[in-house]
Amino acid sequence: MPYTKKKPRPSIDYDIAPFWEGVNEHRFLLCHCRECDEWYWPMAFCQKCEPGPFGENMHWDEASGRGNVFVFNVHHIAFLPAFEDDLPYVFAMIELEEGPMFGTNIIGCEPGEIEIGAPVEIVFEDYEDGVTLPKARLVR
Amino acid sequence: MKRAAIVGMGLITGPQPGRTVRRLEAEAARLAIKDAGLKRSQINGAIQLRRSGGGGERPVLTDAYPRVLGLPVNFYYTVGRGGCLAGLGVAHALAYLDLGIADYVVLTGGVDDFSRSRLSKAQGARGMVHMPKEGYWGKPFGDLRAPSHHSFFAARHMHEFGTTSEQLGEIAVAQRRWANLNPRAKFYDREMTVEDHQNSPFVVEPYRLFDVCQVSDGAVSVVLTSEDRAKDGPKTPVWVMGVGFGEAMAHLWWEKRNYSELAVEPAKRQAFGQAGIELDDIDTAQLYDCFTGEVLFQLEDYGWAEKGEGGTFVQEKGIGPGGAIAVNTSGGLLSAYHLGDLTGLSEAVLQLRGEAGQRQVDNCRVSLVTGHGGEVLSPGMCSIHSTLLLGTE
Repeated sequence: MPYTKKKPRPSIDYDIAPFWEGVNEHRFLLCHCRECDEWYWPMAFCQKCEPGPFGENMHWDEASGRGNVFVFNVHHIAFLPAFEDDLPYVFAMIELEEGPMFGTNIIGCEPGEIEIGAPVEIVFEDYEDGVTLPKARLVR
Repeated sequence: MKRAAIVGMGLITGPQPGRTVRRLEAEAARLAIKDAGLKRSQINGAIQLRRSGGGGERPVLTDAYPRVLGLPVNFYYTVGRGGCLAGLGVAHALAYLDLGIADYVVLTGGVDDFSRSRLSKAQGARGMVHMPKEGYWGKPFGDLRAPSHHSFFAARHMHEFGTTSEQLGEIAVAQRRWANLNPRAKFYDREMTVEDHQNSPFVVEPYRLFDVCQVSDGAVSVVLTSEDRAKDGPKTPVWVMGVGFGEAMAHLWWEKRNYSELAVEPAKRQAFGQAGIELDDIDTAQLYDCFTGEVLFQLEDYGWAEKGEGGTFVQEKGIGPGGAIAVNTSGGLLSAYHLGDLTGLSEAVLQLRGEAGQRQVDNCRVSLVTGHGGEVLSPGMCSIHSTLLLGTE
């Protein structure tokens, strides 16, 4: 199997499907306990309240989409040819305002402009194959 | 619980093109059984130690080394989580020996990552893409292999404590100096300086090429038995003194503790408690070293250095030949061979038997072997930690 320029797409199962349905509508959802107002990503039974059966008392509710850079790296090589044209690209952990961490690319700037702690917001990128990805952009 | 010991070992290193993992495992097990002075007919139980990596699962291996080799076992199955194999396998073996279900248990793990990565490189990819990365975390964002997220360890350590790339380079150089004493090591003939490390290209910044472990072909097998039989064999028994485990997911991963420490504390407490020893009793430390950053973290988390001072420790005290603590005396995953934590297990056995040649640590009586691996999610980087203590008494 030769490796192509086709990018890998999200692996979606029942637990994460509501998140990606939100992304397709350009809505950034997190897993929310409405009883104690704790937020999670990805799906979790509430760790503070008595969990309901199957954790089905949790809700995928719209979140702020705002956060700060907790840590980031700069990819200088592409493990797959599909990412060669993106080099150098940044993969980062975003500490969201609601608490959870979310990993994504920081786009729209040079890697040298990014600092740990910098404020970012989630933006949505639509691709030709119908996939939408939530990415992060520096708030200037 | 009855005491148990490793009484035989087989070690296969170097490129093994054209050989399946199961064939490598069968051969390693054959060597281990022979080394223990046993016959195949005496082996009652077999466990496969299977490594997975980068958040992916090794494709299911049909067929199995005990069938290929011809071992009349009552049980066979697979354990392993990421590169954490030795501690899990030994804990299982101890239970079977203690219950009297088995007289001799063989633990074996092989990899063909070098040969397979050469094939995928010829097809345009880099690294261990032959181990498909599944899971719903970072794949579409180019979080493709271990350096894509493990580099966060180093990035955070640099941010919080001012650790430098040169200090990480000291770790790579120290292990290279050990590898220069190990004829089996991939980089036996190639010396490295901190300047070489600094001149090596960024892979995933802040990690340079020489911060990243290699991939290898090879296999390790060990035979364990209980105390009553251990002294019958031709080789010095290597006693299991203690084993313990820790797990990063014991804490909510967005507490972010896993960016500044590994789950060493419970694993160390359990294993050192069983053994009744202190850190100063360790003669060699075989610390899981998929990247230089993991070594730095463990030097701090085990207590050789204060948290945040691992960089200064490697510069001023040293972990190479003649250093304050002998770390990864084979050269480790970085410079010798990457057989998961079985690299460390095999090296501990050689050191405790006094069979480590030029790199032999004088009067080596206790060796620490750590295991590490298995992403819950990418940010739960290598969430399991295992501590295995082996000794001559």
